[in-house]
Amino acid sequence: MSGEEMDQLTAGLKAVAADLRRVEAPGRVEERLVAAFRERQTPVVPRVPEPRRAWWVPVAAWATAAAAGTALTVFLTRDHPAVPVRQPARSMMQLAVADPGADAEVISADDSGFILLPNAESISPNEEVDVVRVEVPRSAIVALGLPLTEETATEKVTADIALGADGLAHAVRILE
Amino acid sequence: MTEAEADQELFLRIHSGDEQAFVSLYRKRQGSIFRFALHMTGSETAAEDVTQDVFLAIMRDTGYDPSRGTISAYLFGIARKLVLRHVERGRSDALLESELVQGVLPELAASENPLAELTHRERIEALQRAVTALPRRYREVVVLCDLEELDYADAAAVLRCPIGTVRSRLHRARELLFAKLNQERQRPPAAMKPARCAT
Repeated sequence: MSGEEMDQLTAGLKAVAADLRRVEAPGRVEERLVAAFRERQTPVVPRVPEPRRAWWVPVAAWATAAAAGTALTVFLTRDHPAVPVRQPARSMMQLAVADPGADAEVISADDSGFILLPNAESISPNEEVDVVRVEVPRSAIVALGLPLTEETATEKVTADIALGADGLAHAVRILE
Repeated sequence: MTEAEADQELFLRIHSGDEQAFVSLYRKRQGSIFRFALHMTGSETAAEDVTQDVFLAIMRDTGYDPSRGTISAYLFGIARKLVLRHVERGRSDALLESELVQGVLPELAASENPLAELTHRERIEALQRAVTALPRRYREVVVLCDLEELDYADAAAVLRCPIGTVRSRLHRARELLFAKLNQERQRPPAAMKPARCAT
Protein backbone atom coordinates (compact mmCIF):
# COMPACT_ATOMS: atom_id res chain seq x y z
CA MET A 1 0.00 0.00 0.00
CA SER A 2 1.54 3.27 -1.13
CA GLY A 3 1.61 6.49 0.90
CA GLU A 4 -1.06 8.03 -1.30
CA GLU A 5 -3.32 5.03 -0.87
CA MET A 6 -2.79 5.20 2.86
CA ASP A 7 -3.78 8.89 2.86
CA GLN A 8 -6.94 8.05 0.91
CA LEU A 9 -7.83 5.34 3.35
CA THR A 10 -7.18 7.61 6.36
CA ALA A 11 -9.36 10.31 4.81
CA GLY A 12 -12.08 7.74 4.18
CA LEU A 13 -11.94 6.53 7.79
CA LYS A 14 -12.17 10.13 9.00
CA ALA A 15 -15.25 10.58 6.87
CA VAL A 16 -16.78 7.43 8.38
CA ALA A 17 -15.93 8.69 11.87
CA ALA A 18 -17.50 12.07 11.13
CA ASP A 19 -20.55 10.41 9.65
CA LEU A 20 -21.04 8.23 12.71
CA ARG A 21 -20.42 11.03 15.19
CA ARG A 22 -24.16 11.63 15.38
CA VAL A 23 -24.82 8.06 16.43
CA GLU A 24 -25.42 8.01 20.18
CA ALA A 25 -27.08 5.91 22.84
CA PRO A 26 -30.85 6.44 23.09
CA GLY A 27 -32.04 8.97 25.66
CA ARG A 28 -33.69 6.27 27.76
CA VAL A 29 -30.24 4.99 28.77
CA GLU A 30 -29.43 8.31 30.43
CA GLU A 31 -32.80 8.33 32.16
CA ARG A 32 -32.26 4.84 33.54
CA LEU A 33 -28.73 5.64 34.68
CA VAL A 34 -29.72 8.85 36.44
CA ALA A 35 -32.49 6.96 38.22
CA ALA A 36 -29.98 4.30 39.26
CA PHE A 37 -27.57 6.99 40.45
CA ARG A 38 -30.25 8.64 42.59
CA GLU A 39 -31.26 5.30 44.02
CA ARG A 40 -27.68 4.61 45.03
CA GLN A 41 -27.34 7.98 46.73
CA THR A 42 -30.52 7.59 48.76
CA PRO A 43 -30.75 3.98 49.79
CA VAL A 44 -34.31 3.01 50.54
CA VAL A 45 -34.81 1.74 54.07
CA PRO A 46 -37.48 -0.92 53.94
CA ARG A 47 -40.39 -0.05 56.24
CA VAL A 48 -41.23 -2.71 58.72
CA PRO A 49 -45.00 -2.84 58.97
CA GLU A 50 -46.25 -2.36 62.49
CA PRO A 51 -48.02 -5.43 63.85
CA ARG A 52 -51.76 -4.90 64.07
CA ARG A 53 -52.95 -4.56 67.61
CA ALA A 54 -56.15 -6.27 68.57
CA TRP A 55 -58.61 -4.18 70.57
CA TRP A 56 -58.53 -6.59 73.48
CA VAL A 57 -54.78 -6.28 74.14
CA PRO A 58 -54.92 -2.99 76.08
CA VAL A 59 -58.11 -4.14 77.85
CA ALA A 60 -56.42 -7.36 78.96
CA ALA A 61 -53.33 -5.44 80.08
CA TRP A 62 -55.41 -3.08 82.25
CA ALA A 63 -57.43 -5.98 83.70
CA THR A 64 -54.26 -7.86 84.60
CA ALA A 65 -52.79 -4.78 86.25
CA ALA A 66 -55.98 -4.24 88.28
CA ALA A 67 -56.05 -7.86 89.43
CA ALA A 68 -52.42 -7.74 90.46
CA GLY A 69 -53.04 -4.53 92.42
CA THR A 70 -56.00 -6.06 94.24
CA ALA A 71 -54.03 -9.18 95.11
CA LEU A 72 -51.17 -7.11 96.44
CA THR A 73 -53.49 -5.01 98.59
CA VAL A 74 -55.14 -8.09 100.08
CA PHE A 75 -51.78 -9.67 100.76
CA LEU A 76 -50.38 -6.60 102.49
CA THR A 77 -53.43 -5.99 104.67
CA ARG A 78 -53.73 -9.60 105.88
CA ASP A 79 -52.57 -10.61 109.37
CA HIS A 80 -49.34 -12.45 108.72
CA PRO A 81 -48.07 -14.91 111.26
CA ALA A 82 -44.55 -14.59 110.02
CA VAL A 83 -42.50 -11.74 108.60
CA PRO A 84 -39.67 -12.90 106.42
CA VAL A 85 -36.48 -11.02 107.08
CA ARG A 86 -33.59 -11.26 104.69
CA GLN A 87 -30.36 -11.54 106.66
CA PRO A 88 -26.89 -10.98 105.33
CA ALA A 89 -25.08 -14.18 104.59
CA ARG A 90 -22.31 -13.44 107.09
CA SER A 91 -24.05 -14.98 110.13
CA MET A 92 -25.27 -17.86 107.99
CA MET A 93 -21.70 -18.67 107.13
CA GLN A 94 -21.20 -19.12 110.80
CA LEU A 95 -24.12 -21.57 110.80
CA ALA A 96 -22.38 -23.47 108.09
CA VAL A 97 -19.31 -24.15 110.17
CA ALA A 98 -21.35 -25.66 112.99
CA ASP A 99 -20.87 -29.26 113.88
CA PRO A 100 -23.79 -31.12 112.34
CA GLY A 101 -23.70 -33.81 114.95
CA ALA A 102 -24.28 -31.49 117.89
CA ASP A 103 -28.04 -31.52 118.45
CA ALA A 104 -29.63 -28.50 120.06
CA GLU A 105 -26.29 -26.87 120.41
CA VAL A 106 -25.83 -23.14 120.38
CA ILE A 107 -23.78 -22.74 117.26
CA SER A 108 -23.15 -19.08 116.97
CA ALA A 109 -19.65 -17.97 117.64
CA ASP A 110 -20.74 -14.35 117.87
CA ASP A 111 -23.76 -14.99 120.03
CA SER A 112 -26.26 -14.76 117.20
CA GLY A 113 -28.32 -17.20 119.23
CA PHE A 114 -29.19 -19.71 116.49
CA ILE A 115 -29.67 -23.28 117.60
CA LEU A 116 -29.30 -26.05 115.09
CA LEU A 117 -32.52 -28.05 114.88
CA PRO A 118 -32.41 -31.74 115.77
CA ASN A 119 -31.64 -33.94 112.77
CA ALA A 120 -31.27 -30.88 110.49
CA GLU A 121 -28.41 -30.80 108.06
CA SER A 122 -25.83 -28.13 108.51
CA ILE A 123 -25.83 -25.28 105.99
CA SER A 124 -23.06 -25.54 103.48
CA PRO A 125 -20.64 -22.65 102.96
CA ASN A 126 -21.92 -19.90 100.62
CA GLU A 127 -25.43 -21.31 100.76
CA GLU A 128 -28.04 -18.62 100.63
CA VAL A 129 -30.23 -18.64 103.71
CA ASP A 130 -33.53 -16.98 104.43
CA VAL A 131 -34.43 -15.97 107.97
CA VAL A 132 -38.13 -15.88 108.74
CA ARG A 133 -39.50 -14.33 111.89
CA VAL A 134 -42.45 -16.21 113.38
CA GLU A 135 -44.56 -16.46 116.50
CA VAL A 136 -44.95 -19.99 117.76
CA PRO A 137 -46.42 -21.56 120.92
CA ARG A 138 -43.75 -22.11 123.53
CA SER A 139 -44.73 -25.81 123.62
CA ALA A 140 -43.75 -26.18 119.97
CA ILE A 141 -40.16 -25.52 120.67
CA VAL A 142 -39.82 -27.17 124.01
CA ALA A 143 -37.48 -29.65 122.35
CA LEU A 144 -34.90 -26.90 122.09
CA GLY A 145 -34.67 -26.71 125.85
CA LEU A 146 -36.90 -23.74 126.42
CA PRO A 147 -38.28 -23.72 130.01
CA LEU A 148 -41.98 -24.54 130.06
CA THR A 149 -44.59 -24.41 132.76
CA GLU A 150 -48.29 -25.11 132.65
CA GLU A 151 -49.08 -21.41 132.70
CA THR A 152 -46.69 -20.50 129.96
CA ALA A 153 -47.41 -23.45 127.64
CA THR A 154 -49.85 -21.51 125.49
CA GLU A 155 -47.76 -18.39 125.33
CA LYS A 156 -46.33 -17.45 122.04
CA VAL A 157 -42.72 -16.69 121.59
CA THR A 158 -41.07 -14.83 118.75
CA ALA A 159 -38.33 -16.72 116.96
CA ASP A 160 -36.21 -16.48 113.83
CA ILE A 161 -36.04 -19.59 111.70
CA ALA A 162 -33.14 -20.06 109.31
CA LEU A 163 -34.31 -21.67 106.06
CA GLY A 164 -31.75 -23.27 103.78
CA ALA A 165 -31.67 -23.16 99.98
CA ASP A 166 -33.79 -26.32 100.00
CA GLY A 167 -36.54 -24.43 101.86
CA LEU A 168 -36.21 -26.51 105.07
CA ALA A 169 -35.64 -25.06 108.51
CA HIS A 170 -32.11 -25.60 109.76
CA ALA A 171 -31.84 -23.49 112.89
CA VAL A 172 -33.90 -21.41 115.26
CA ARG A 173 -33.17 -18.34 117.30
CA ILE A 174 -35.49 -17.54 120.20
CA LEU A 175 -36.01 -13.81 120.53
CA GLU A 176 -38.14 -13.83 123.68
CA MET B 1 -6.77 21.46 32.73
CA THR B 2 -6.52 18.71 30.11
CA GLU B 3 -9.50 16.67 29.03
CA ALA B 4 -8.13 13.65 30.89
CA GLU B 5 -7.79 15.68 34.09
CA ALA B 6 -11.30 17.06 33.66
CA ASP B 7 -12.62 13.51 33.31
CA GLN B 8 -10.71 12.46 36.38
CA GLU B 9 -12.20 15.28 38.40
CA LEU B 10 -15.68 14.31 37.23
CA PHE B 11 -14.96 10.73 38.25
CA LEU B 12 -13.96 11.83 41.76
CA ARG B 13 -17.04 14.00 42.07
CA ILE B 14 -19.24 11.10 40.96
CA HIS B 15 -17.94 9.07 43.86
CA SER B 16 -18.73 11.83 46.29
CA GLY B 17 -22.35 11.67 45.11
CA ASP B 18 -22.40 14.49 42.53
CA GLU B 19 -25.19 13.66 40.08
CA GLN B 20 -24.33 16.55 37.78
CA ALA B 21 -20.78 15.21 37.42
CA PHE B 22 -22.19 11.83 36.49
CA VAL B 23 -24.47 13.33 33.86
CA SER B 24 -21.58 15.42 32.47
CA LEU B 25 -19.27 12.43 32.14
CA TYR B 26 -22.05 10.34 30.63
CA ARG B 27 -22.94 12.95 28.00
CA LYS B 28 -19.30 13.43 27.16
CA ARG B 29 -18.42 9.76 26.72
CA GLN B 30 -21.60 7.82 25.96
CA GLY B 31 -21.46 8.35 22.21
CA SER B 32 -18.02 6.86 21.72
CA ILE B 33 -18.78 3.94 24.03
CA PHE B 34 -22.08 3.27 22.24
CA ARG B 35 -20.44 3.40 18.79
CA PHE B 36 -17.58 1.15 19.89
CA ALA B 37 -20.05 -1.40 21.22
CA LEU B 38 -22.15 -1.06 18.08
CA HIS B 39 -19.17 -1.71 15.83
CA MET B 40 -18.06 -4.66 17.89
CA THR B 41 -21.43 -6.34 18.46
CA GLY B 42 -23.34 -5.19 15.40
CA SER B 43 -26.47 -4.79 17.49
CA GLU B 44 -28.04 -1.57 18.67
CA THR B 45 -29.72 -3.40 21.54
CA ALA B 46 -26.44 -4.90 22.68
CA ALA B 47 -24.68 -1.55 22.30
CA GLU B 48 -27.36 0.07 24.45
CA ASP B 49 -26.93 -2.60 27.12
CA VAL B 50 -23.15 -2.28 27.05
CA THR B 51 -23.30 1.52 27.36
CA GLN B 52 -25.65 1.28 30.29
CA ASP B 53 -23.55 -1.38 32.02
CA VAL B 54 -20.34 0.60 31.55
CA PHE B 55 -21.77 3.60 33.38
CA LEU B 56 -23.41 1.44 36.02
CA ALA B 57 -19.99 -0.11 36.59
CA ILE B 58 -18.27 3.22 37.15
CA MET B 59 -21.09 4.21 39.49
CA ARG B 60 -20.17 1.25 41.67
CA ASP B 61 -16.46 0.92 41.02
CA THR B 62 -13.88 3.15 42.66
CA GLY B 63 -10.95 1.08 41.44
CA TYR B 64 -9.78 3.38 38.67
CA ASP B 65 -5.99 3.67 38.56
CA PRO B 66 -4.77 6.83 36.75
CA SER B 67 -1.35 5.27 36.16
CA ARG B 68 -2.96 2.73 33.84
CA GLY B 69 -4.61 5.19 31.45
CA THR B 70 -7.21 7.90 31.15
CA ILE B 71 -10.85 7.67 32.23
CA SER B 72 -11.72 7.34 28.56
CA ALA B 73 -9.46 4.28 28.24
CA TYR B 74 -10.92 2.93 31.45
CA LEU B 75 -14.47 3.21 30.05
CA PHE B 76 -13.47 1.59 26.76
CA GLY B 77 -11.76 -1.19 28.73
CA ILE B 78 -14.98 -1.98 30.60
CA ALA B 79 -16.95 -1.78 27.35
CA ARG B 80 -14.55 -4.18 25.65
CA LYS B 81 -14.97 -6.73 28.44
CA LEU B 82 -18.74 -6.48 28.19
CA VAL B 83 -18.59 -6.82 24.41
CA LEU B 84 -16.43 -9.95 24.69
CA ARG B 85 -18.91 -11.38 27.17
CA HIS B 86 -21.73 -10.61 24.78
CA VAL B 87 -19.93 -12.28 21.86
CA GLU B 88 -19.10 -15.31 24.00
CA ARG B 89 -22.76 -15.65 24.93
CA GLY B 90 -23.42 -16.50 21.32
CA ARG B 91 -24.37 -13.27 19.65
CA SER B 92 -21.78 -13.41 16.84
CA ASP B 93 -20.93 -10.71 14.37
CA ALA B 94 -23.54 -12.05 11.96
CA LEU B 95 -25.85 -9.11 12.52
CA LEU B 96 -23.26 -6.50 11.81
CA GLU B 97 -24.27 -5.61 8.28
CA SER B 98 -27.96 -5.88 8.81
CA GLU B 99 -28.15 -3.57 11.83
CA LEU B 100 -25.09 -1.40 11.73
CA VAL B 101 -24.83 -0.41 8.10
CA GLN B 102 -28.47 -0.34 7.15
CA GLY B 103 -30.15 0.65 10.35
CA VAL B 104 -27.96 3.05 12.23
CA LEU B 105 -26.31 5.24 9.63
CA PRO B 106 -27.86 8.67 9.49
CA GLU B 107 -30.01 9.32 6.47
CA LEU B 108 -28.77 11.56 3.69
CA ALA B 109 -29.40 15.19 4.30
CA ALA B 110 -30.90 17.35 1.56
CA SER B 111 -28.02 18.39 -0.69
CA GLU B 112 -27.41 20.74 -3.61
CA ASN B 113 -25.51 17.97 -5.38
CA PRO B 114 -27.30 14.73 -4.59
CA LEU B 115 -25.21 12.64 -7.00
CA ALA B 116 -21.94 13.71 -5.42
CA GLU B 117 -23.49 13.12 -2.04
CA LEU B 118 -24.61 9.68 -3.11
CA THR B 119 -21.11 8.79 -4.29
CA HIS B 120 -19.66 10.02 -1.03
CA ARG B 121 -22.25 8.03 0.82
CA GLU B 122 -21.48 4.89 -1.12
CA ARG B 123 -17.81 5.24 -0.37
CA ILE B 124 -18.49 5.63 3.32
CA GLU B 125 -20.80 2.64 3.36
CA ALA B 126 -18.26 0.55 1.47
CA LEU B 127 -15.57 1.48 3.96
CA GLN B 128 -17.86 0.77 6.83
CA ARG B 129 -18.67 -2.65 5.43
CA ALA B 130 -14.96 -3.30 5.12
CA VAL B 131 -14.42 -2.33 8.77
CA THR B 132 -17.27 -4.59 9.78
CA ALA B 133 -15.73 -7.50 7.87
CA LEU B 134 -12.42 -7.25 9.69
CA PRO B 135 -11.53 -9.93 12.24
CA ARG B 136 -12.36 -8.73 15.74
CA ARG B 137 -8.77 -8.06 16.88
CA TYR B 138 -8.20 -5.77 13.88
CA ARG B 139 -11.64 -4.25 13.95
CA GLU B 140 -11.31 -3.10 17.55
CA VAL B 141 -8.02 -1.35 16.90
CA VAL B 142 -9.42 0.47 13.85
CA VAL B 143 -12.53 1.52 15.78
CA LEU B 144 -10.52 2.76 18.74
CA CYS B 145 -7.69 4.52 16.90
CA ASP B 146 -9.21 5.58 13.57
CA LEU B 147 -12.89 6.06 14.31
CA GLU B 148 -12.85 7.10 17.98
CA GLU B 149 -9.41 8.71 17.75
CA LEU B 150 -7.84 7.26 20.88
CA ASP B 151 -4.08 7.70 21.08
CA TYR B 152 -1.91 4.60 20.96
CA ALA B 153 -1.18 4.64 24.69
CA ASP B 154 -4.87 4.62 25.58
CA ALA B 155 -5.60 1.97 22.95
CA ALA B 156 -2.83 -0.16 24.44
CA ALA B 157 -4.41 0.27 27.89
CA VAL B 158 -7.81 -0.78 26.55
CA LEU B 159 -6.46 -3.79 24.64
CA ARG B 160 -3.99 -4.66 27.42
CA CYS B 161 -1.08 -4.98 25.05
CA PRO B 162 2.11 -3.00 24.29
CA ILE B 163 1.93 0.12 22.13
CA GLY B 164 4.03 -1.64 19.48
CA THR B 165 1.35 -4.29 19.16
CA VAL B 166 -1.29 -1.58 18.67
CA ARG B 167 0.80 -0.05 15.87
CA SER B 168 1.41 -3.35 14.11
CA ARG B 169 -2.25 -4.42 14.39
CA LEU B 170 -3.40 -1.08 13.05
CA HIS B 171 -1.02 -1.32 10.12
CA ARG B 172 -2.24 -4.82 9.32
CA ALA B 173 -5.87 -3.75 9.72
CA ARG B 174 -5.44 -0.92 7.21
CA GLU B 175 -3.86 -3.30 4.71
CA LEU B 176 -6.83 -5.62 5.09
CA LEU B 177 -9.23 -2.70 4.66
CA PHE B 178 -7.50 -1.55 1.53
CA ALA B 179 -7.56 -5.04 0.06
CA LYS B 180 -11.25 -5.35 0.85
CA LEU B 181 -12.06 -2.00 -0.81
CA ASN B 182 -10.11 -3.03 -3.91
CA GLN B 183 -12.12 -6.24 -4.10
CA GLU B 184 -15.34 -4.24 -3.99
CA ARG B 185 -14.17 -1.88 -6.73
CA GLN B 186 -13.35 -4.77 -9.04
CA ARG B 187 -16.70 -6.48 -8.44
CA PRO B 188 -19.28 -5.88 -11.22
CA PRO B 189 -21.84 -3.27 -10.14
CA ALA B 190 -24.99 -4.66 -8.63
CA ALA B 191 -28.46 -3.34 -9.32
CA MET B 192 -28.72 0.16 -7.91
CA LYS B 193 -30.56 0.38 -4.62
CA PRO B 194 -32.84 3.31 -3.99
CA ALA B 195 -31.13 5.92 -1.85
CA ARG B 196 -32.70 7.08 1.39
CA CYS B 197 -33.20 10.78 1.19
CA ALA B 198 -34.57 13.05 3.85
CA THR B 199 -36.68 15.83 2.51
